[in-house]
Amino acid sequence: MQIGPAELLEVDLGADESVLDVYERHGWGDGLPLNAPTTERVREMLHALGDVDPDETVAVLPPRAGVATRRTIAVNAVLAGCRPQHLEVLVSAVRALGRPELNLRGVNATTHPVAPLLIVHGAVVISGGYNFGLGAFGPGNRSNAATGRALRLILLHIAGATPGSGDASTQGGPAKYSYCVAENIEASPWGGYARSIGVDAPSAVTVHCGEAPHNVHDMESDEPARILDKVASVMCSTGQNNAPISQGEYFAMLCPEHAAVCANDGWTRHDVSSYLFNQARMRVGELRRAFDLRAWAPWEQRLRDDDLMPMTESAGNIKVVVVGGAGKHSSLIPSWGMTRSVTLPVEP
Amino acid sequence: MKLLIHRPDGAVGAEPSVAAAPVPVLSGKRIGLLDNLKPNAGVVLARLGGHLAERTGAEVMTHQTKNAALPCEDQVLERLAAEVHVVLTGTAD
Repeated sequence: MQIGPAELLEVDLGADESVLDVYERHGWGDGLPLNAPTTERVREMLHALGDVDPDETVAVLPPRAGVATRRTIAVNAVLAGCRPQHLEVLVSAVRALGRPELNLRGVNATTHPVAPLLIVHGAVVISGGYNFGLGAFGPGNRSNAATGRALRLILLHIAGATPGSGDASTQGGPAKYSYCVAENIEASPWGGYARSIGVDAPSAVTVHCGEAPHNVHDMESDEPARILDKVASVMCSTGQNNAPISQGEYFAMLCPEHAAVCANDGWTRHDVSSYLFNQARMRVGELRRAFDLRAWAPWEQRLRDDDLMPMTESAGNIKVVVVGGAGKHSSLIPSWGMTRSVTLPVEP
Repeated sequence: MKLLIHRPDGAVGAEPSVAAAPVPVLSGKRIGLLDNLKPNAGVVLARLGGHLAERTGAEVMTHQTKNAALPCEDQVLERLAAEVHVVLTGTAD
């Protein structure tokens, strides 16, 4: 193997040598087999973006300060098994990773098992073949799996989030392999999430840096409070970063049947967030016993031990998205804490 | 089969930081302890600073960042640059 001109490697692939083997020697890859990123495949991938500069900087990603261009993003898309129609979603997600409020340096450097969750919204869900229904978090759908995997490969390769030198996560986590889901807008009684926060585009992406999904199970309730009390119960845990960090967001990923129960009773998306804000509370004294280090809002610092404190400082930090198919399991995705989710239009 | 494939990492956008040359003798120097507020960081740094002060006669000063998950504030870095010769930091859980 030799280093070729510019960003190319000349490799001799045979029965005993794969792209995975070559990449492994460089410290690249996620440990799974990789598609060969040949110039033809990368060119074909980039062709899907139309007339744009492939070498324009999309974002500079810490801790390596790696320059993510459309071309380097496309290389990782090929490696992960993406189709060309996934590339604009990936480019938009990388743009979101570069936003300062997302704090990617902290996300990659922390000992917490945080992973950026990519949520796909709008028309591209259908045109890109993303799974928004049964089993939306996986496995089994190429679009979700490959796009999520490509985003992780970009973090490993371009951002340098290699376990040890660039990612200090104590235990790592399965969400760090691939973490992509699509919103089920058809089944959402409140319309799309992106539009609800002012991103009025045909397609959009949200990146939320959080934990793997925590299950919320309710098979029997036909009124909103009984379901949402269980969501609130999952929110009230001292084992998650939201407990000592008041700015942390939660993503409540309601299944269509739970969302329908809420909407049929006249509840809006805002009502759901407000109810969860009101119900997900713990005694301040219990939180103080659990944490000496508390990144709480000033007003929270002044509460008495017997006061009930909300698990996040405002209802706006509780985001509601409809995901999944038939059945009565929702999920809650707590935040790492020192990060804000970013929603952007899908643009090449 | 010989093949040309792309590297996956691309260019680095900014020159990586380079550590300053080591200070050969600590006697008479000022040492800054930068506590990033990780659990026990202050304990470890204070003990380390105490030993160094005892052995070298160096003056030890302590500074804190607001939160370990966010970059150190410019004001703190500027004060450290102005006041001390050596900084000890980088503790984790």
